[in-house]
Amino acid sequence: MSIRPDVIQCRLVICVTLFLVCQPACSAETDSPASLNEHHKSLLQDYCLKCHNTEKPEGKFRVDTLPFEISDNESAERWQKVLNALNSGSMPPQDEAQPANTAKTDFLDDLTNVMTAVRRNLRDQHGVITMRRLNRREYGNSLRELLGVQIDVSELPADTGNGGFDTSGSNLFMSSDQFEQYHALGLEAIAESFERVTHASSNNKQRFEAEDIVDRVKSNLSNRIELRRKYNIWTKAIDAAADRPENQAIAAEIRKGLTNQPPWNFYHSWQKLKNVPSPTEFGFADGEHATHEGISAWNLLPYQAYFLSQPEVKNGAFLTIRDNGVNPLHYFGIGGWPSGECIVRIRIAATKQATPARRFVEFGVQSTHLSTHEVSGTMDVPQVIEIPFNLTKSRGGSFFIREKGTFDSNEQGHRVFAEGEKQNGIGPEFALWVDWTEVERKTIPEQLIPPGIRALGIPLGDDAAAMTKDDVRAALDRFITETCRGNPASSTFLDKLVNIYDERGKSGSGHGSALKETLAVVLASPRFLYLVEQAGDQESRELNGLELATRLSFFLWGAPPDKPLRDLATSDELLKPHVLLEQTDRLIDDPRSTGFVIPFTDQWLGMDRLDFFRFNNVRYPAFDESTKMAARNEVYETVGYLLGHNESLRHLLKSDFVVINSLLANYYGIEGVKGDAYQKVAVPNGLPRGGLLGMAAILAMGSNGEQTSPVERGAWVLRKLMNDPPPPAPANVPQISRLQNKLLTTRERLRAHQEEAQCASCHRKIDPVGLALENFNAVGQWRTEDTYEAVGLGKKTWTIDPAGSFHHGPSFTSFFELREVIASKSDSFARGFSIAILEYALGRPRSFRDEPLIEQMVNQTRQKDFAMREFIKVLVGSNEFRSK
Amino acid sequence: MTSKRSRRKFLQAGTSLIALPLLESLGFQRSCSANNAVKPPKRVVFLGIGYGVTQETWFPNVIDQGENYMLPAGLAPLARHKSDFTIVQGLTNKYTEEAHWGSTFWLTGANRFEAGAAFHNSISVDQVAAGVLGKETRFASLQLNGSDHDIAANGHGPGLSLAWDVRGKPVAGLNKPLAAYHRMFSTDTTPIEQRQEMLRQKRSVLDAVLGDAKDIQRHISKNDNAKLDEYFQGIRDIETTLTKEEQWQNIPKSTARFVAPSSSLSGIDEVKLMYDLIVAAFQTDCTRVLTYRQPISTLLASLGIRVAPHDMSHYAPGERMEASQKRDLVQSQLLASLIDQLKETREADGSSLFDNTCVVFGSNIRNVHYLDNCPTILTGGGAGVKLGQHMVVAKDTPLCNAWLTLLHGLGVNVPRHGDSTGVIKELLA
Repeated sequence: MSIRPDVIQCRLVICVTLFLVCQPACSAETDSPASLNEHHKSLLQDYCLKCHNTEKPEGKFRVDTLPFEISDNESAERWQKVLNALNSGSMPPQDEAQPANTAKTDFLDDLTNVMTAVRRNLRDQHGVITMRRLNRREYGNSLRELLGVQIDVSELPADTGNGGFDTSGSNLFMSSDQFEQYHALGLEAIAESFERVTHASSNNKQRFEAEDIVDRVKSNLSNRIELRRKYNIWTKAIDAAADRPENQAIAAEIRKGLTNQPPWNFYHSWQKLKNVPSPTEFGFADGEHATHEGISAWNLLPYQAYFLSQPEVKNGAFLTIRDNGVNPLHYFGIGGWPSGECIVRIRIAATKQATPARRFVEFGVQSTHLSTHEVSGTMDVPQVIEIPFNLTKSRGGSFFIREKGTFDSNEQGHRVFAEGEKQNGIGPEFALWVDWTEVERKTIPEQLIPPGIRALGIPLGDDAAAMTKDDVRAALDRFITETCRGNPASSTFLDKLVNIYDERGKSGSGHGSALKETLAVVLASPRFLYLVEQAGDQESRELNGLELATRLSFFLWGAPPDKPLRDLATSDELLKPHVLLEQTDRLIDDPRSTGFVIPFTDQWLGMDRLDFFRFNNVRYPAFDESTKMAARNEVYETVGYLLGHNESLRHLLKSDFVVINSLLANYYGIEGVKGDAYQKVAVPNGLPRGGLLGMAAILAMGSNGEQTSPVERGAWVLRKLMNDPPPPAPANVPQISRLQNKLLTTRERLRAHQEEAQCASCHRKIDPVGLALENFNAVGQWRTEDTYEAVGLGKKTWTIDPAGSFHHGPSFTSFFELREVIASKSDSFARGFSIAILEYALGRPRSFRDEPLIEQMVNQTRQKDFAMREFIKVLVGSNEFRSK
Repeated sequence: MTSKRSRRKFLQAGTSLIALPLLESLGFQRSCSANNAVKPPKRVVFLGIGYGVTQETWFPNVIDQGENYMLPAGLAPLARHKSDFTIVQGLTNKYTEEAHWGSTFWLTGANRFEAGAAFHNSISVDQVAAGVLGKETRFASLQLNGSDHDIAANGHGPGLSLAWDVRGKPVAGLNKPLAAYHRMFSTDTTPIEQRQEMLRQKRSVLDAVLGDAKDIQRHISKNDNAKLDEYFQGIRDIETTLTKEEQWQNIPKSTARFVAPSSSLSGIDEVKLMYDLIVAAFQTDCTRVLTYRQPISTLLASLGIRVAPHDMSHYAPGERMEASQKRDLVQSQLLASLIDQLKETREADGSSLFDNTCVVFGSNIRNVHYLDNCPTILTGGGAGVKLGQHMVVAKDTPLCNAWLTLLHGLGVNVPRHGDSTGVIKELLA
């Protein structure tokens, strides 16, 4: 089977990540002035001007008047035409003289970079920050902070993928549909919050003994034996009928059509035979159903019998694999509880047969896998795993637990089962044993009543006594000030809201319902949805305390400011530089800073790519969903660790430690790591981990789930680590298909990129870097050999040679040497990081005007060895951050 | 059963003459015979496939033009309709440079960088059509989307559907067949008085937030006001919808021919169902303008193809090209059965829905990274296009010229659309 490209597509992979490419944050390198080097004039002179000149220019296009300094749209469009014509190979025409390959490559290289700069210049917002609405995650976080609820906001537009961070105001649109969604979600949030608070003292608890499933397994087993008996009778009757003279020809005909199919499919065609009994007479819906019960399910019988024969099922149960009759997903559920914070407890143990890789249990709700936990308990001393769970109306309380990597898909379940069955004729050995599971809903103490509800300060129930308009009005006023980040409502807005409350009451709603409806309107109002910063007399002004607090908390938490921050804001204390920096530290130290670390890291590094494809779990069984989840978290956790401990940004380029948990330690082959928490672990000698380039998630992003993509990886390194991004993928570049149907190594195949100037101008920089990472396979595991196999061509295996050199730069012979070169350029990395963080925090693409600030961020942090918090502090203290 | 009185009231509410088939679909008895029946309305639907087609096996040979061209393998399932669709080669959106945005500018032809903007778009052709064709229906237009999670990964590019409004802002779409079904056919059983009360309540909500917006407006900069304007526009759009709802509240929604679809459909089954819904929407005249941004990753998954959408589009001989070809075939099969359905559905005057509907199938992306020669299939009699043709227009003819031609054919006489330079005369029957 061929699963590798047989044809090289120029820039194929750069464009895979177009979303990353065009993030302004990243398309930002060298501030090449938007002018083209004069030395290219000779190329235009020699190959273009003959036709595109003063007199009757061909295609009405004059090259002689093209300005080398590109400062307006019109010139940009003209140069774009030149670039398009060269990229598509349509100019110079085939029968005309062609420029030398290197000259053309250099010209294309320069022109492409200049055009990228031109586009950036032309759209420069001159530092103006567009007022923006809350993006999807900020909206969800705000509801959480203000009302204590977790609402599923996934129906709202994602606000990503527009070529910038999701904080970029000019990309955050609003539409009528969205308004209605906000209104509906707001109502849901209020209702949920009311329910939590009115049931604040409700303490529910329920335990499920795992052995309760044993009876189910027993009855299932006898049921299967009975169905098998009936199946045998039915199929024997058909066999007998098929042998009769009137059926022989028909049976032969049916069998002819069944080549390469299992023999029992013969019975599916029972209707074609004469005088045979129908499967319905035996309790089967049809022939296929009979096969399922008589053959497929029957195969599981030894496994079930084995399960029942274990003494440990007297007071517990094993987590089995695939078989629905037992418990591939051990279900337990609660119903009718009010929403609220719960704890799920699992008393569990790993059996003696459990290999290290099988000592993990997955937990989820409905069909969504939420988390994975290490099982360290033994059959002698089981452990209790505690998992916090936020019970909401929308996701309900149907839970499951299952062994890691056994049921990401039905296909995987079958494979894992078959592997076990192959070894012992029964099925996989049992690795995990469960004593019981338990769910408890906690009471909500007075001090944890969410601020939005606390601000209301009035009863919430329908049964509350009628309230005066003034009381309602005052409550709404407090609610708006709280939820709209200290921005009080106008009296006309309050009047209208009181009216709505009143109308709802008149049309039959009780107090609580009318109040919910009214509050939902607030949560769909522009005062709540937009981060309003009032205009001053001048074009730019300093932010006031509340505005600064809001900007700071949405930057570092993705959520509204809390009370301490708001208090400092209203007293103007926050405007003092040292207070602002203290608060910056406090916000970073708060757990809510994951509201910055995760979305920023994810978008900065383009990690959405990890979800673009399914990883082939036959080729890479170890990279299951739990591992993928853990690998993704490693990136976030590492950035979070560096920020939390104010360690150097350089650790992302190269580090002697990793931040991992036991699951990833198992994947990386690092011993002695325990628990689900991510922790700092020293990298054992010789292991290629430490830094982004050693992370499974980053390496897996540079693949397509089947095989590595050196181009994708190389472009990512240039873009993210070296701040030297290749330009976005140009359209209409010709495809090179000369190498199709040849058995070649990856390196040989990529060599084709150097043949055409259109390709070489970028790939001479990209490919060597990507090839140096070939020692990592598609899921980030180390390898020394690679194989290519294609139908009709055969198979080729080779030893990976990572050696190469940077374009105009140092050479390297191994991954480790490549990493040294990259790590030595921490200034470039710091610059790219500064730009990204600036754009994320300010919600706009960087501008020319930001150049001094970017310089300052790099220079000042360099004094402190690029300590992570320093970047944030220089930025937060800057005029750009503190003014509108 | 709706009374005569409410029908009259409804007629008064509308500003223009209501075509008879519409009334028929609303449950009225047809009061005139077929020979003096009013002509059925014109409809249009755009089917956008994101990542393009397989160059080698989808396009007919360019030298093989006219009626008797040889149908390539990728279009083979359409053979039975060969005289009823036209395939056009040579059309291009000249400003498009994003090699993975098959839908963002497909129907708009906009220049992303216009006026130095980081992102600019303009109105899409379906919305131009809806401005005229949408006046007499419950919904001026409806936007359908595939339920793929990551649109960006499927070659569609930014946008909330194929449609962009008059200000170049994205128009939201319905992401699931079930949602589309409910929008089109779910009958509100609430008594009329109560519904009027609900409309009134909705208005008071809009009035309140609008008041808040006006208050904010006074205090913010000009630049921010432009942003807040989106909010105002959103509210105005809802008001327009409410007004329309009010006009239509006496008239029950039409009944679909089938029951509500399962919420878990995806891939090929989802496309089939969306096509059913498109036919049902036109048949019941709940709208005359539809767009459908089709799924890719779930479509491939439902066909048992493991190749990721991007890799499929950037095919090379072998598994990836086979995936692309398989998708072409399935898309052609689905399109062929959509045409079957349109042909089978009768209008009040005896013509078929097919005769009065214009169906457009294609993408801004041809294949791999190529944005020229956008794959384009036109079918149905709605826009008066000459059918049964393989037509190669002059290289780099604006795709918007084709859109302008369709608009004129549909009776929407705008002078231009996007970067159009005129109509394509050869396309006219």
